[in-house]
Amino acid sequence: MDMLTQESYKSDIKPIFCPGCGDYGVDAALTKAFVDLQIDPDNTVVVSGIGCSSSLPHDLKTYGIHGIHGRALPVAEGVKLANRNLNVIAVGGDGDGYGIGAGHFVHAIRRNIDITYIVMNNEIYGLTTGQASPTSMIGQKTKSTPFGVIERPINPLALALASGATYVARGFSGDPMHLAKLIGGGMKHAGFSLIDVQSPCVSFNKLNTYDWFRKRVYKLEDSGYNPNDIMKAYEKALEFDMDPNKFPIGVFYETTSPEYEDLDVTLKAGTAVGWNAPKKEEVANVLNEYTTEYA
Amino acid sequence: MEGISIRISGANGDGIESAGALLSQLLAHNGLYVFGFRGYQSVIRGGLVWYQLKASNSRVYSIGNGVDVFVALTMDALAAGLSNMGENGIVIYDSTVIKTTPAANAKVQFVGVPLMEIALKSGGSFIYRNSVAIGIIGKLLGIDEKTIDIAVGKAFKRKPEEIETNMKVVNSGYDFPINAKLEKKLAIGNAPLEKYLLNGNSAIAIGAYAAGCKFYAAYPMTPASSIMEWFALHEPLGIFFKQTEDEIAAINMTIGAASTGARAMCGTSGGGFSLMVEALGLAGMLEVPIVVVESQRSGPSTGLPTKTEQGDLLFAIHASQGEFPRIVLAPRSIEECFYMTAEAFNLADRYQCPVILMVDLFMSEHSESVDIDPEKVAEERGEIAAASDQQTGRFMRYKITDRGVSPRSLPGSKGLAFVASSDEHDEYGSLISDVLAGIPKYVELRKKMHDKRMRKLDTMLDDGAIGMPTVVNDGADVFMLTFGSTTESATEALELLKSRGINAGLISFAYLHPMPSDRVKKLLEGKRLIDVECNATGQLAKLIAMNTGMVVRDKVLKYDGEAITSREIADGIANYVGKV
Repeated sequence: MDMLTQESYKSDIKPIFCPGCGDYGVDAALTKAFVDLQIDPDNTVVVSGIGCSSSLPHDLKTYGIHGIHGRALPVAEGVKLANRNLNVIAVGGDGDGYGIGAGHFVHAIRRNIDITYIVMNNEIYGLTTGQASPTSMIGQKTKSTPFGVIERPINPLALALASGATYVARGFSGDPMHLAKLIGGGMKHAGFSLIDVQSPCVSFNKLNTYDWFRKRVYKLEDSGYNPNDIMKAYEKALEFDMDPNKFPIGVFYETTSPEYEDLDVTLKAGTAVGWNAPKKEEVANVLNEYTTEYA
Repeated sequence: MEGISIRISGANGDGIESAGALLSQLLAHNGLYVFGFRGYQSVIRGGLVWYQLKASNSRVYSIGNGVDVFVALTMDALAAGLSNMGENGIVIYDSTVIKTTPAANAKVQFVGVPLMEIALKSGGSFIYRNSVAIGIIGKLLGIDEKTIDIAVGKAFKRKPEEIETNMKVVNSGYDFPINAKLEKKLAIGNAPLEKYLLNGNSAIAIGAYAAGCKFYAAYPMTPASSIMEWFALHEPLGIFFKQTEDEIAAINMTIGAASTGARAMCGTSGGGFSLMVEALGLAGMLEVPIVVVESQRSGPSTGLPTKTEQGDLLFAIHASQGEFPRIVLAPRSIEECFYMTAEAFNLADRYQCPVILMVDLFMSEHSESVDIDPEKVAEERGEIAAASDQQTGRFMRYKITDRGVSPRSLPGSKGLAFVASSDEHDEYGSLISDVLAGIPKYVELRKKMHDKRMRKLDTMLDDGAIGMPTVVNDGADVFMLTFGSTTESATEALELLKSRGINAGLISFAYLHPMPSDRVKKLLEGKRLIDVECNATGQLAKLIAMNTGMVVRDKVLKYDGEAITSREIADGIANYVGKV
């Protein structure tokens, strides 16, 4: 088979992102990760919800499901559980994943299904033109919080760790090469992987800009960080809350734990659940549990 | 339709359901048709539970209008059950715990039996009172002791250590002298009339299995939970089951699974269905075949979680924003629960749309002796694209066709990748909702895409895939209209009405949506119609009016949580036609 390049994964649909949107970086990083792993586009499903970032599947030549707001994860789980041979990637924004979809987020993580979840976190609702999101910082003025946000933002990394995540990473779309490694690592990881991506919204978030991030971002791997220690991972996940000048990116935590698919009675056979109806005798056997005969 | 009705009642924790199941099995084995149903409450211990069954030598359609043998284990059970007694019925109460002798009643025979004492003396504990009752009932019906022992052995197959004690206790009950006479007689046989005894939810689950369902997702909710439990237990058959965090996840997972080609189903009651509504539209828009079971219970809101109703019909037909094709089916018997579930998968695949299977608590949870033939299940998988279908460039998943159905491709198929989108899209699946919306060419395309999807409704009607209502007694003077579970009681009401000199017929619907309006109109025209439903507004009548313009004003409606009985229906009909 010919080597696949980034072009092999790009559809002829032009992304709808605003000029300068962080999500271009995620688009590029994702296709770079595909190239690095030589992922078969016909054997890959990219699932999204609703929001600017959820239009990403259209930019790709893979199979895609662009579903409804907040429900990318359960759709992705359904795809993977029905056919575990497919590469399944869920994508979306912070409103989609940490707001309306927060319940699914926690449960998808604790199941450890082999899905890579990329959240393009811009701390704002962009497609609905600038309301507060679950990750908007305290004090931030938005259309829905004209007097400033008064709720504490969700800390997705700490929440993921508390939910039993086996791969937790954070990237910055201003560094797509680094991000591609994090995504690739997530795809190679057996089990659920979360890649929270700080992906600036140039139109509606004037606080968390590229410059704002660049002043704070540093790479965990450059500080000799070991991602196998969960207590250290919590510490790093909470670092920005303690010191607003430090914003670590990289792999926060990675551990080995059985995938859901390897534990489930049906799925551990290793194949897709399949297609064929049972034989008539097999149905009759099941009906015999209800027989009125006394054998 | 002569038969004997038996009721055993006590509190939660008294083993009423197991006693009812054992008794049903025993009678079904001995050449009788059995129809049984459990009444219970939303509590775990205490309260009131009853199991009532009717057994007869001919087909049974209800639990009966008057109880012939009633065993009461508690004072509450005794008090609640008396009003259901038939003429000269026998009331056996546990005189160990019920010390107040019930007031004499000319209509019934009271017999105090120290059930608790007998159970304890024979080596059982208080929970074995139900086994004493089984022995007593078996004797009254004239079933031989050996057969009862075999039934006990079968019922406790999974708890072999309990078989011996149970047999002893049952035999003590059998030998206890009862000073009462059962006037009605059943011809006890020694071979079953029908092959199986099962309830609606089991029939639905097995119907799904027979159709090749490989994926079931659900969140626990009465009365749909036993479908989930069936799939959980039967996962080793190679059907994946997932209990989800909520019903929203259940239906979205089902859509994901169905997108891969697997036959997938989710199930719930009205409350959970309410949560599924947005994703129901997603399945409609993505044109993904899914089956959704909606087992209705008394609403609104939490309502009566353990009681039945048919209040969600119009909701199911109209649920979710916008317009999209869907199919709504309502099985009218246990057999139809099996066959229509299998059919639901074929319809979903052929027309690439959600199919809603409407049952209710009564249909889900009542058991009947039935014969089911897996050979009658055919598999139709609809149009699947092969790699050779691809013309140039991208695969046209939503190709505009005359029938409205476009061949779908499954992830993993080479060169047939596409994006399924909840936004309005073009024939490839690409969005026309953002930068193209409102541009004249795309305004036109939006209409074409919407027409393509909606055309599937006409196609399924033209194909004859949507069945007509069933007519019983074509030459009747008055016709009852029913859908789903009320049909069986109405069938039984036909004979009651006949005995009152009323020539009644029955028109029952199993296919509710879409409706072949012209043909239904033609069928109903010129007939005297009375709507019979378990809801307060006559939703089937409204649906018929909406589709045909025909207004059915006379209605026999019940919405107190209990299933409508044949006597209630007959009284209601007689009231309208003037022969009470």
